[in-house]
Amino acid sequence: MIDLADIAQRLRRVTVEVTDAGQALGCGVLWPPGWIVTNAHVVRRPHQSVRLVDGRRLDGALVARDAEADLALLRLAGAGMPTAPVAGPDSARVGALVVAIGHPLGVRGAVTAGIIHAIAPMVPGGPACILADMRLAPGNSGGPLADAAGRVLGLNAMVVGRLALAIPMTRVRSFVRAAGVEGV
Amino acid sequence: MDGVLMFSNELAAAVERAGRAVVGVNARPRLGSTGVHWRSGLIVTADHAVQVDDDVTVTCPDGRVVTATVAGRDPAIDVAILKLNAPEVAVADVADSDAIRVGHIVMALGHGPRASWGIVSAMGEGGGARSAAGPLFHLDLTLYPGFSGGPLVDVQGRVVGMNTSGPGRHLHVALPAAAVNRVVDEFLRRGRIPRAHLGVATQPVRLPEELRRGLDRDQPTAVIVVDVQPESPAARAGLLIGDIIVSLGGTPITGPTDLKTVLRPDRVGETLTASVLRGGQARELLVIVGERPRRSDAR
Repeated sequence: MIDLADIAQRLRRVTVEVTDAGQALGCGVLWPPGWIVTNAHVVRRPHQSVRLVDGRRLDGALVARDAEADLALLRLAGAGMPTAPVAGPDSARVGALVVAIGHPLGVRGAVTAGIIHAIAPMVPGGPACILADMRLAPGNSGGPLADAAGRVLGLNAMVVGRLALAIPMTRVRSFVRAAGVEGV
Repeated sequence: MDGVLMFSNELAAAVERAGRAVVGVNARPRLGSTGVHWRSGLIVTADHAVQVDDDVTVTCPDGRVVTATVAGRDPAIDVAILKLNAPEVAVADVADSDAIRVGHIVMALGHGPRASWGIVSAMGEGGGARSAAGPLFHLDLTLYPGFSGGPLVDVQGRVVGMNTSGPGRHLHVALPAAAVNRVVDEFLRRGRIPRAHLGVATQPVRLPEELRRGLDRDQPTAVIVVDVQPESPAARAGLLIGDIIVSLGGTPITGPTDLKTVLRPDRVGETLTASVLRGGQARELLVIVGERPRRSDAR
């Protein structure tokens, strides 16, 4: 039987820490193979230091950045990295359990659980976001929001009141495709 | 399927099921509230979020907006009942709220659907929560803006209460479904929600030790009558200014809110025994609970 601890452990392997001069800026998700997706506000330089769960430090080269969508794509130098499993489109349901991994306030690999609060645009007519009833903090940015099977639903991007807002993977996928990555 | 995923699917299914009976209530400027299709044609919502009596609309789960009328209010427990003609909106599956225990996982729903989850952290009064309805569910969950009047549901999506943060906004409490049922039943019986009424104004007083001993009671406080309205049920029962009410209908009265707890809408017309102290002497008076005159009846 799989429990939350297993899901958290699997997610930690596909979550990286984006750092700058030893200081943690946020997270990123190993997806698609050989790449990292994260928030634009997490990335500061053309080359960003990335730390894997096993402690390896690698170079992430900034390939695409969209400040408005708050998404960034880093190319990863190195091989043998796992890739995050991604949930199918439209699989997020209000009320379903969700799990987030991140480094909130410097706590490395912290797991947070909650439920999906709503799937709604932040502004009328805007793109749909996943709002989760869970407490996230600075350091969760760019990290995965996953379902109860450990599949990534979105990237945690900001805290709105007491809600966590994640960018759905469908939008992340379009961004990655637009950046010229094939096969996603 | 593994346990966590199964539980997650059950929660999502519960939201979907319960959400069919959840409506948006548009009865105050800016922020709407939430309502529950409690019985066929009747929406239950939070009274404090119904700030107008006319031009109230309800947003159905399918997004249609229909007109509703305010049919009854019980501000003492923060319940309003709206009448609605929308037969296609499902009626909520209301469960026995007495089965809920501290620690049970519950969800609060808003129109949309929107959801938050947590546990029942305590039952009873305190923390400034209104107590006129009797014990409340204190919740370890977030009632987001607009959640007032929405359902508290169990993990199967059955309604066990109505959420109300009250005008204070920082309380996370729910009125148990049993208390809401009492109001709805009373409404169906009389066609309105009567407001029980004694016609007294009271203030809390400390009961001196010797008086308590004489009464064989351990309550530290009671209420003192500071005004009796002429022709009121209290006046007819012979209550006088200066009387100290220590119990009513067998319920100890330790403060003015205890009076509200006893004076539920379904108590109108009942004869209750009031235990009072007058000049240090205990005596019992019989009070027939009246109905507060409606505004339209006045004058």
